[in-house]
Amino acid sequence: MNKLRFYFFHLMPYPHIPPAEQIESSWVTLSNKYYDPQRGHTLYKEYLNQLVAAERFGFDGTCINEHHANFYGTMPSPNIIASNVIARTEHIPVGVIGNAIPLHGNPVRVAEEIAMLDVISGGRMICGFVRGIGCEYFNNGVVPADSVERFEEAHDLIIKAWTKPGPFTFQGDHFYIPNVNPVPLPLQQPHPPIWIPGQGSLETLQFVARHHYTYMMVYSPRWFCKLAADGLREECKRLGYEAPKSMFNACIPTYVAETDAQAHKEAKGHLSWIFNTGLKIPDQLFFPPGYMTTKSFRNFTTQLIKGKVKAQHKLSYEELVKEGYIIVGSPETVKNQLGEYCEQLGAGGVINAGSAYGPMPDWMVMKNMQIFAEEVMPAFREADGKPDYLRQARPAPLTSTEFSALVRGPEEMPRARVDGREGLVDLRYAHVDANA
Amino acid sequence: MSYVDIVEKVSVPKPDRFYTPPQFAEIQGIPIAYRRAGNGEPVLFIHGAGYTRRWLPLYQMLSEHCDFIAPEIPGFGETPAPKWFRNFDDLSILLDEFLNRLGVDRVHLIGYSMGGWAAAEFATFYPRRLKSLALLTPIGLRLPGNPGVDLFQLSVPDLLNRLFNDKVVQQEFTPNPDDFEEGVHLYSEFSAAARLIWAPRYNLALEHRLLRVTCPTLVVRAEDDHLVPNEMAEKFAEVLPGCRLEKIAETGHELCLERPAPLAKVLNAFIAEAAR
Repeated sequence: MNKLRFYFFHLMPYPHIPPAEQIESSWVTLSNKYYDPQRGHTLYKEYLNQLVAAERFGFDGTCINEHHANFYGTMPSPNIIASNVIARTEHIPVGVIGNAIPLHGNPVRVAEEIAMLDVISGGRMICGFVRGIGCEYFNNGVVPADSVERFEEAHDLIIKAWTKPGPFTFQGDHFYIPNVNPVPLPLQQPHPPIWIPGQGSLETLQFVARHHYTYMMVYSPRWFCKLAADGLREECKRLGYEAPKSMFNACIPTYVAETDAQAHKEAKGHLSWIFNTGLKIPDQLFFPPGYMTTKSFRNFTTQLIKGKVKAQHKLSYEELVKEGYIIVGSPETVKNQLGEYCEQLGAGGVINAGSAYGPMPDWMVMKNMQIFAEEVMPAFREADGKPDYLRQARPAPLTSTEFSALVRGPEEMPRARVDGREGLVDLRYAHVDANA
Repeated sequence: MSYVDIVEKVSVPKPDRFYTPPQFAEIQGIPIAYRRAGNGEPVLFIHGAGYTRRWLPLYQMLSEHCDFIAPEIPGFGETPAPKWFRNFDDLSILLDEFLNRLGVDRVHLIGYSMGGWAAAEFATFYPRRLKSLALLTPIGLRLPGNPGVDLFQLSVPDLLNRLFNDKVVQQEFTPNPDDFEEGVHLYSEFSAAARLIWAPRYNLALEHRLLRVTCPTLVVRAEDDHLVPNEMAEKFAEVLPGCRLEKIAETGHELCLERPAPLAKVLNAFIAEAAR
């Protein structure tokens, strides 16, 4: 097994908006009049190509997520993007990290869509669940104070929908479904791997530990990521097991170029845009009332005061580097820093390294991907340089021949009564004479 | 077994000005904090989404003429909220039980802002319990095409600027931004408010249910409300049968804090007249 897994990650920003100092927020309140679909068409094409390119470059997975009514990430329906990416790739796992399950009326829809994607892709889906960030609650009628409950209930419903034979009735506090009976079911058994992105809240760490899922950090300073990683291991220990490294994924934008100086020169403006403009969010939109329990709000605010953490949109580039929000440099620098960073956190994977950032032009993203894949990733791989998934059995056969050659259990064949024929006829042979 | 959680009392920060310790009445497993003073006609006052834990000047002025009862609703002040407490239906039933416990039969009901919505809901469920109903810059009806600003989207300074037209009073009632515990408490009160009013920001059923209210009714509007459209108070006055509409000069949405004396005068006169 490789030392680290690397997941290409795209937010699909729409950066053609006024500069940070001229807007109050790039979320919720910034008018969608700034969105030009002609420009959007070009950007989607570039972004999708980048996600697809992650396969030939050798990444361990290619990931996307869900956000609404903003310019930081234009994927209100990430499953649509996933559908495009799986159609254009063959082997690479695709992560939707994740669907914001409390925001939607019927969580079974997410169970259905992920199952569809998993079956179509031959079992390549990674399934993330998120609550959506606070801002998201201003764009629909869901009460932020219900967010945690709806998240947990929607999660339970989706997992049950995948694992308990239907139909059954789901009697939740928030969701009542008379017949849960999704068709299709996921190809990976019992279901695709579940990833839970989090901001380090204790409730989320406990949730992940309870379910043995994979936790992934969102953009945070290094000391805070370390706190979360240690917290997760502690929660697992409390439940009587040792957390494997694969349970914690770091998330750190990483840009690599020929030299340290060149890398900083190229990446600076783009990485800063993510934080200073893309994440320009006033507090009252970031933390709508009830989005956090009072206890979490108290803990979180205390941590922020203790750590003297600035709002992300006020961080200078130097602070982003110093606080360990990002890693930028030559292949040698990035290799060393990334290795040391993951060692310290006890992370088994890295999301968003060697990826696309803010307004970065297509060629620069490709350059980052190529140098990262060729000069950084091999250092964390077995001698064959392969991603782990290429050494593992594929969850579904790649070809019809393989499918037919495999011995499977008894299966219903499509049968019906046919005029002029006796009894139930196997419809696959109904066009052939009965006596032939 | 019981289907009702028993919720523990909570410790909350005590504001420097106007704080008084409340009494408690346990209703449906919830220790309801309330303040009560004065003699005469019983008056039940439902607060808005803030400035709890205080015996405000308005309360004092009213209590000099009546038996003034001001509970803190679940999630506000020192009244904790159980998990099951979710909406104005729960609140109406809770307040009905609260009055039973206090041995108060019929009351004059006053509600301010979000408490005005709560009072209107209570009135539609228990119209025979009311001697009169007064709504002060209430919310809760739909104004088509005129949703107003979203209070939850406002920064604290913006919210205060919209709440108060009198900048001197605003200064007096601006929470200290360095008071961590107060900040956490206000977040929790706002969370309780969000549970009640986040979406939708109105109850369409009020438009026909309020026709059940036959007691004397009064709506008090601000001179110029910058938080809730002035048309809101006017629409309540239209919908409520036989309703009188009063305006308090030099006030914004927070008229209870800005001009307590003229407001108390209007309310005391209204209650006295309704009691006759």
